Amino acid sequence: MRYHRRHSWPLWMYREKMDKVTSLYLHVPFCESKCPYCAFSSAEKSGRDEEVYLDSIALEMALRAPDAGTLDTLYIGGGTPSVLSRDAWRAVIELLEKFFTLSSSAEVTVEANPSSLKHEHLELWRNWRVNRLSLGVQSFDDARLAFLGRIHSSHQAVKAVELSLSSGFSVSLDLMFGLPSNTPGIHEELREWAGTLRSAIELRPHHISVYQLTIEPDTPFDRLYSDSPLMSDGYVPYRYAQWFLPRLGYEQYEVASFALPGHESRHNLNYWSDDGYIGIGPSAWGCVNEVRYKNTPRLVDYAAILASGGDPITSTERLEGERVARQAAVLALRTRSGINWEKFQARYGKIFAKAIKNDLKFIPNDLISSDGFNTRLTKKGLRLGNAVWASII
Amino acid sequence: MDRALYQSRIRNFSIIAHVDHGKSTLADRLIETTHTVESRNMKAQLLDMLELERERGITIKLVPVRMTYTANDGESYILNLIDTPGHVDFNYEVSRSLAACEGAVLVVDAAQGVEAQTVANAYLAVEQNLDLIPVFNKIDLPSAQPERIAREIEDVIGLDASNAVLASAKDGTGIDEVLERIVTDIRPPSGDPNAPLSALIFDSVYDNYKGVISYVRVVDGEIKPHKEISFMATGDIHEIEEVGVFTPAMQPVESLGPGEVGYIVAGIKSLKDAGVGDTITDARNPAPAPLPGYRRVKPVVFCGYYPIEREEINALRDALEKLQINDSAITFEPESSAALGFGFRCGFLGLLHMEIAKERLYREFGVELVATAPNVIYQVKLTDGSVIEAHRPSDFPSDPTRQEEVLEPFIRVTLFLPDGYVGSCIQLCQEKRGTYASMDYITPERVRLTYDLPLAEFILDFHDRLKSTTRGYASLDYEHTGYRVSDLVKVDILIQEEPVDAFSFICHRDSAYHRGHAVTTKLKELIPRQLFEVPIQAAIGKKVIVRVNVKALRKDVLAKCYGGDITRKRKLLEKQKEGKKRMKQVGRVAIPQEAFMAFMDVSGEDG
Repeated sequence: MRYHRRHSWPLWMYREKMDKVTSLYLHVPFCESKCPYCAFSSAEKSGRDEEVYLDSIALEMALRAPDAGTLDTLYIGGGTPSVLSRDAWRAVIELLEKFFTLSSSAEVTVEANPSSLKHEHLELWRNWRVNRLSLGVQSFDDARLAFLGRIHSSHQAVKAVELSLSSGFSVSLDLMFGLPSNTPGIHEELREWAGTLRSAIELRPHHISVYQLTIEPDTPFDRLYSDSPLMSDGYVPYRYAQWFLPRLGYEQYEVASFALPGHESRHNLNYWSDDGYIGIGPSAWGCVNEVRYKNTPRLVDYAAILASGGDPITSTERLEGERVARQAAVLALRTRSGINWEKFQARYGKIFAKAIKNDLKFIPNDLISSDGFNTRLTKKGLRLGNAVWASII
Repeated sequence: MDRALYQSRIRNFSIIAHVDHGKSTLADRLIETTHTVESRNMKAQLLDMLELERERGITIKLVPVRMTYTANDGESYILNLIDTPGHVDFNYEVSRSLAACEGAVLVVDAAQGVEAQTVANAYLAVEQNLDLIPVFNKIDLPSAQPERIAREIEDVIGLDASNAVLASAKDGTGIDEVLERIVTDIRPPSGDPNAPLSALIFDSVYDNYKGVISYVRVVDGEIKPHKEISFMATGDIHEIEEVGVFTPAMQPVESLGPGEVGYIVAGIKSLKDAGVGDTITDARNPAPAPLPGYRRVKPVVFCGYYPIEREEINALRDALEKLQINDSAITFEPESSAALGFGFRCGFLGLLHMEIAKERLYREFGVELVATAPNVIYQVKLTDGSVIEAHRPSDFPSDPTRQEEVLEPFIRVTLFLPDGYVGSCIQLCQEKRGTYASMDYITPERVRLTYDLPLAEFILDFHDRLKSTTRGYASLDYEHTGYRVSDLVKVDILIQEEPVDAFSFICHRDSAYHRGHAVTTKLKELIPRQLFEVPIQAAIGKKVIVRVNVKALRKDVLAKCYGGDITRKRKLLEKQKEGKKRMKQVGRVAIPQEAFMAFMDVSGEDG
């Protein structure tokens, strides 16, 4: 693939790191079973799928590697990467070693589910460069787990977290709130969520991501719950998380992310600072030299295109100057550090910085705070992020 | 044929009826029976003509039809049917059609009997001194009661109905008799072919190729191509290019003489120059005086028309100008609204007229618009003795203490209804601030009820309420009875302490709280939650009478956003921003267009 840099765009020369991409996302499109709310590209693997997948990513890695510099972050997500067999994992590691170089302090994350996490995986990862695990726990309430179609129990979840921690990984838990409830009432929703958060922090993971259940189109939940009065707006659990987690040392450094100091996800911070990343695997997104691209989603198509010497990208997007700047401002405002105006101006230009600052003047001042250098959302502002971003996008 | 003989064989007539009493079906039957249009082609041909004319950009309205009929006396007659609209709003159009006729067929439903508009239309015909032929239609219905209907017509209208034609336009009964009676009972047009030309314009339409086409009824003299004519009201002189008759398609003829109905084309570029009701005369040999003009009607119902796309304001003006000449009762003047931008304050004869105008603007001129809630003109007497004509709430003094008294237009409504609904109708009229005038039994089962009502209450939702109260069994007619003093107040709606003119309204002091509550509650539903609490108040002057709050938004955030989500989330935000752009910013509050739309619904917030 060739990316054409737009030399006509004068701003690119101000960019700090332009040339080589230092983040890589590898998508593993397999799951043990598909959750009814999930819209990610994944399927239960069958037959020669693993083999086909490995052959194909090898081809794509060869294609993308020239854009990569020394990698600072690597994230292997899915799907459920932990469903790959031990042999497949060996092959993945070999490929990554062959095509890419990891910096000595690289953050290497693997996503795993409590149900498929095995000792042998942990050992393999530990012995290679993996230093961070992101576990799809979702809840510590068995009824809720069953409702979400998860195939692990709360007991399994606890075991998986303990095992990961004792193996020396930096561990992140995904927890989900805003589930539809047949017993509506804030009290019940809050009680359950508080219980899940309490169970989570008792295990002392390093990082907690809280997600609101969103009803994605064309998922089983879409048919069941879109427009359902049973759906919660998520305000109560989200606000509770904002109050509860920081008291125990987990600072909210982004809309959905809480971490003990030093355990923020560098890979995700890279997304929010509008820096490039290479995406590999079916349905993966990447962003190289201002071009965002998306790979074809189905493994068969992905494999066929690569096998015939093609590039599996299905769509690309390159925004013009002002939209790049506005998107970057929105992304930055997701984070605790917010927009640093000096850097922002240097990278996107004075004019756009000024226009965005001007738009922000109309935001009530209990939602944003500014110290003259940075502008960030307050806790309340984070809860209303959409409305703020929509006014500057 | 000798001109005088020819003239004696012309009959010009209209069909008048209450809505649904079978006017159109009867007209179709007459056209069919006289073979004006072959029956098997009838629908298709008439429709084709409409389509064609539409394509060419002219308007179908009051289409006259020329029929040839061989009577029992063996002679051939020309019957000109001049159509009339059937709704109370269009009495002025009825009267201008009737002015072109010598006679009228009064159609009454043989089962339903006299209805409110039967009376109004019959009286319009009497006023014009027309020969009237009563026809009892739908005589085939088992429930038909011709004797009762005849009695009603004699009792209620005062017409002799003993010789009424018993007809059924549906099965063809009595159609020949109707045609025969048109020949025998309606006088031929008088008029001197040698006198100076005088011809009445009873309608004008605009054609993209020919320019203005005027529908005329010649009274005296002769009109033919190349003649120089002048319009007596404006003094404009034009040369006739084409004259013709309606078959019903336009067909050129050599000339039109006294009593004849047809059209003229005279290179007139603007409908303004061919005013309906004007008299055409010979430019070199003018008639001494114009024909009696129409009873010029004044609009009584007003509303604002605003283009949906703000750039379309000029297109809307052009369309209104064209419509106005075509429909002379419409008035308009520019106005602007904080919420809707630039538009026009338009005057109409009634609610139906208003709706039809809107529909025509869309269909014929492609202009999409929003209409503000209809209102009337108030007269506000101030404490300093001066009087304001208030067209809209914002014309009222902002300080209500400067207001001495307010007068509003009243109408006298006549309702015809089965006696079982009298109680509920009286209740409705009382609720609408009505004053009882009279009640009498036309028959033991049917009642005529008259009430004086404020026009403003009438246009709000009276039609709909009456319909549901009486399950459609009541009919109504009304006349304007002038201005009366009422205890009216202007209620302002304040959003985040700022008055929003589009939501202000005038109402009786007693219903100010109730309506203020309805409006603020509706707005509370329609204004989305903002980043802060938004108070919505209803106030008379400085006195707040209702307050509701739109609670602040409490959560609005997309929980996660990683590499694969960035583009999608950006698009969602851009959509959200686009949506907000379409909202009207009042202070810090974004008010969606729907909120304004909700108050433009003619049924009003109580509807």
